[in-house]
Amino acid sequence: MHPSPAAQPAPRPGDRPNGRSHAIEARGLTRTFKGGIEAVRGIDLDVRAGEIFGFLGPNGAGKTTTVRMLSTLLPPTEGTARVAGVDVLADPAEVRRRIGVALQEIGLDPIQTGRELLELQCGLYGMGESQARARAQELLELVGLTEAADRRTKTYSGGMKRRLDLASALVHSPPVLFLDEPTTGLDPASRLTVWDEMRRINAAGTTVLLTTQYLEEADQLCDCIAIIDAGRIVAEGTPASLKAQIGHDVVSVSLDGADPRATRSTLEQLPNLERIVLEPEELLLYVDNGPALIPEIVRRLDREQLRVGAISVARPSLDDVFLQATGRRLEGAEEQP
Amino acid sequence: MTEIALLGRRAVREVFRLPEATVPTLFIPLFFLAVNIGQVSKTFPSSTPFLHGQGYVGFQLPVSLMFAVCTATSGLALVTEIDGGYFDKLLVAPIRRSSIIFGRLGADLVRGVGTSTLVLLVGLALGARMRSGVAGALVLVILAALWGVAYAGIGLLVALRTRNVQATNASFLVFFPLLFLTPNFVPFDRLTPLMEGLARANPVSYVIEGLRSLVLQGWVPGKLAICCGVILVTGLLLTWLSVRAIEGYDR
Repeated sequence: MHPSPAAQPAPRPGDRPNGRSHAIEARGLTRTFKGGIEAVRGIDLDVRAGEIFGFLGPNGAGKTTTVRMLSTLLPPTEGTARVAGVDVLADPAEVRRRIGVALQEIGLDPIQTGRELLELQCGLYGMGESQARARAQELLELVGLTEAADRRTKTYSGGMKRRLDLASALVHSPPVLFLDEPTTGLDPASRLTVWDEMRRINAAGTTVLLTTQYLEEADQLCDCIAIIDAGRIVAEGTPASLKAQIGHDVVSVSLDGADPRATRSTLEQLPNLERIVLEPEELLLYVDNGPALIPEIVRRLDREQLRVGAISVARPSLDDVFLQATGRRLEGAEEQP
Repeated sequence: MTEIALLGRRAVREVFRLPEATVPTLFIPLFFLAVNIGQVSKTFPSSTPFLHGQGYVGFQLPVSLMFAVCTATSGLALVTEIDGGYFDKLLVAPIRRSSIIFGRLGADLVRGVGTSTLVLLVGLALGARMRSGVAGALVLVILAALWGVAYAGIGLLVALRTRNVQATNASFLVFFPLLFLTPNFVPFDRLTPLMEGLARANPVSYVIEGLRSLVLQGWVPGKLAICCGVILVTGLLLTWLSVRAIEGYDR
């Protein structure tokens, strides 16, 4: 039995109940491709109306497949999903009227101009010619493409294409917007511009489901994050609550040639040590008060004559959350400015 | 404007903005027209009974028209969109999927009228005469273009099923055996028994015969009716298959 759209969603760790209904609900969502490839394995999702929900995971985790199922491009093998209150299998046409989609691959017709593309999109969503012209102009101004509007999209830069793609997903002011890795391949400046656009769209009331492999993007933008790996959600919550689960500080000891086992056995007796993880080039210590423990770490290493590289202290990151949940780092994740 | 008209307008715009997709397709029909006339005209002078007093160019002109309109251009355009991601954008819009097909076929009609007209003009310049007059010339161009629309279903079908540019491009080659197992160079009764049997079983033969009758004989209702029937049935079948393929795409 699925909760009605008006029901109170279950509280998430670190959450404050706000009475909002679900914009996206999924139960046991599964997709198995030919050859028995299980891309998505029984995902449950509850995305509240008006929030930015992040789907964070490495390449091949199942993010895009999930978005394609929720946006009616791909039928689920099993499970159910409702988007904007409509069942994706029972009434996909109505779902499409209520969503905007910008997929990982920028979907633009290279032969059309930006203006023509937006006017066509408006027409496909039922607008008359004059309304389509006005709406296209409005969106072009919004995404800063008025000067390039009458050039063919194949002449656009990557950032311009992404902004136009975003604009084309917004022609009908959808209540729910799917963005599949919207900043992949963009330079830092363009990335920040897209972030600002997302915040503006969300502030106007649109629910955004964003997939990303960038930790900083998820951390900065999302009200709630689901971490997905190998087709399953391995952790979910607000960014703060997810990081709080890890512990307070992460002390990183760069081995720089020191014996890893000896270093580990020297440090694993430290007080207030929650966990110790040996990585190929470093040792990670999860502790309560990292800065206070540094002198003791240095003393113990010096006593055992273990010469390490740098010792640094950091607050837990989403990468640490991923590491705890899966036993490995988020591969392919990039540092962002 | 309906979604078919919107998508059709876009596809037609593409035809004019990408002349490099259309112009090279005229090379084969015009090349074969010139070569075949050059090689065979002395063998079949205008006094040859089946030429009805015209030069061999009149006999070959419909074949060149068929070459001109039977392309995989729409299929290639579609598979390029699938590859590039714009196809997904269309699928996620609240439109009937069949509109995408019909929009492309509309552009094929425009392209077909243009290329047929050009080939006809070249044929007339080389000495062909329209026994059915100006009206016959118009009907000739329209029927050839409609055959091109019908044939485009092959490219669209291959594009949707394979999602592969090379396979879609190669689908054009389906036409070659269909074209050459016909009264392509000589009438039915001049073919060997085996070839005649194959040609009479090939529906493309009757499209050629219908178009040829407009050039050489004037208005021959029986041949035109069969020609129109073949175009209609082929068009309906291939369009139905293409629509079915797009409705079932990723489902």
